[in-house]
Amino acid sequence: MNEHAPALHIDTLRFRYPSSVTDSPWVVDVGSFSLGVGEQVLLTGASGRGKSTLLYLIAGLIEPAGGSVSVAGRDIFSVRGSQRDLFRGTKIGMIFQTFNLLHGFSALENVLAALLFSSIRPKEHDARAKELLDAVGIDSPGREVTQLSIGQQQRVAVARAVATSPAVVLADEPTASLDPENAEAAMDLIQSTCRSVGAALLCTSHDPAMATRFTRSESIDDLATPVRA
Amino acid sequence: MAMSDWTIICRSMTSRRFSTVTTIITVAVAVGLMLTLLSMRDSGRKAFERGTGNMHLLISNDSSPLVSVLNGIFYANAPARPIPWSTFNQLVSTFPHEYAIPTQQGDSYLGLPVMATSTEFFSKFSPDANYDPSKPKEKQAGSPWRLAAGRFFERPFEVVLGAKAAEESGAEVGDVIELSHGMKTRRNQDSPAEHHTHSDFPYTVVGILELTGSSHDRAVFTDLNSTWIIHAHERRHRDDPTSPSTTQADLTDADRKITGIYLRLPTREGSNISPLLPTVAAKLRADPSITVAQPTKEIKSLFEIVSSIDQILLAMASAVMVSSGIAIMLALYNSMEQRRRQIAVLRVLGCSKPRIFGLIVTESAIIGLIGAFAGFGLAFVGSRVVAVAMKHRLGLVIDPTFDPKATAGVLLASLVLASAAGVVPALMAYRTPVAKNLRPIG
Repeated sequence: MNEHAPALHIDTLRFRYPSSVTDSPWVVDVGSFSLGVGEQVLLTGASGRGKSTLLYLIAGLIEPAGGSVSVAGRDIFSVRGSQRDLFRGTKIGMIFQTFNLLHGFSALENVLAALLFSSIRPKEHDARAKELLDAVGIDSPGREVTQLSIGQQQRVAVARAVATSPAVVLADEPTASLDPENAEAAMDLIQSTCRSVGAALLCTSHDPAMATRFTRSESIDDLATPVRA
Repeated sequence: MAMSDWTIICRSMTSRRFSTVTTIITVAVAVGLMLTLLSMRDSGRKAFERGTGNMHLLISNDSSPLVSVLNGIFYANAPARPIPWSTFNQLVSTFPHEYAIPTQQGDSYLGLPVMATSTEFFSKFSPDANYDPSKPKEKQAGSPWRLAAGRFFERPFEVVLGAKAAEESGAEVGDVIELSHGMKTRRNQDSPAEHHTHSDFPYTVVGILELTGSSHDRAVFTDLNSTWIIHAHERRHRDDPTSPSTTQADLTDADRKITGIYLRLPTREGSNISPLLPTVAAKLRADPSITVAQPTKEIKSLFEIVSSIDQILLAMASAVMVSSGIAIMLALYNSMEQRRRQIAVLRVLGCSKPRIFGLIVTESAIIGLIGAFAGFGLAFVGSRVVAVAMKHRLGLVIDPTFDPKATAGVLLASLVLASAAGVVPALMAYRTPVAKNLRPIG
């Protein structure tokens, strides 16, 4: 892994659903995009413009039609199967609009689940998970997540996303289901937590007001591959 | 507390507690049924073998050796055709034997069969096949018969009750009872010729036997002379209603009849098998006036006859086991719809597709394994309940034992079946599209 490589680099990445006709427009079309180590970027765009699909492509959860995605200097599509899953589990953290916590599990177990599938030594899991939950303000880590408030669930989701000290955290509309006050608090937490673990942050939102929180903001429409003359 | 794949499996099972428990119960019932059937089949055979005891041959005048064994040992019916006493004396004088015990059946007491015999029945014949009458009693584990109360009969018109016979009739030592001619059935209850009470000759209960776990527990034992006297008296009374009471002195050769002979031939030291058996059996079979049965062989052939029923029962139990596998598959299959999001989240966190597949198959196997062990427990308790019921209702002692190989085979089969049942739901989980299942609901 190249230590000087950007946290994320995308090159001519294109995606359309396999069932689509061949000349239909690309759902995702990104010419070149980079995210420096620890950098925080807001990716804006109207609903349905492919922001979430781009995040799934970066995470290696869906296959592109072409192009490459490098996370911490490694092309995620050059590794396959279980190796890619392990790479994702270790180097990429994800935060979702509806948190996608594991129901039936405690806050602690949700964070431990992220560590379980990583390359981090099991001995370190427990202490690390507790420390992270403490850092995000969860004082009852043994409680089942559905018994926590929405704000607390958001905190658990953030702790889980950074549990493996990933190179990049992908946040997909993390505040879309929160009221403005909670949204502010949630973004404060996400940004500060990523900063504290040294993870880059790529956050999608269709809310242009969010741009004030980031030093760099990109519109997904502006990332498209330039049309050749 | 570290998180592991087991935590995920256990949470999955406990989050669908009702479904998990009912599926485990289904497997347990299937395994329990299979193990109980296997155990009862072996134990039942042993119980029947116990009834034949340590005799080598049973001689009668019944229509076939099997009927002879069913009537002469298991008291199915009263043997219809007698053997004259002279034939008995002539037969037993032609070859060496450890015992030749005459038996006479045909009477009953409150529906319980009466076995008239000699005192050797209690001193030499044993319902335990391993009892060797040639060895001193005290050197063997347990005497052939043990008395729960009183003593064995010594004189005419004394009876000894089998343990079950005493329990069913409620008779105690010292009671005076009247025996009946024939076995009272629906068919003959209104026919005095076939069924009537020998009211002129009361018997005294002198002893009650301990339970032996054999068919003899339901029998009432008395001596041959008593039986001959009461039947001779009936003959004399028919010929001359004014004739006085009959005594042993009034017996003619025609009155002295038996219905069976329990025969044990000389054996080698430490063996229950007689080298003379083939020769003596062949010699006796040459006599067309008698039927010669080798009880252990007859029981074996009886079990061969019923083995097809046995196999049908085992096939049914196997079908129930397969159904339990299908139940596991359906329970997991139905849960997949609710678990798609959880699977997608696990995939995002780095869980590989093969590991997801393994988690579901392991969960299925665990349900099968818990069900299998619960089934073993069920069979253990169930077979003991059946054994107690058999002992109380039929006096048949069944000692339910589980053949380790068969038990391990059934447990392994249920584990394999459960694992196989998990394959379809596991494939569904394996193919779960991640991106689609992470989208916000609604």
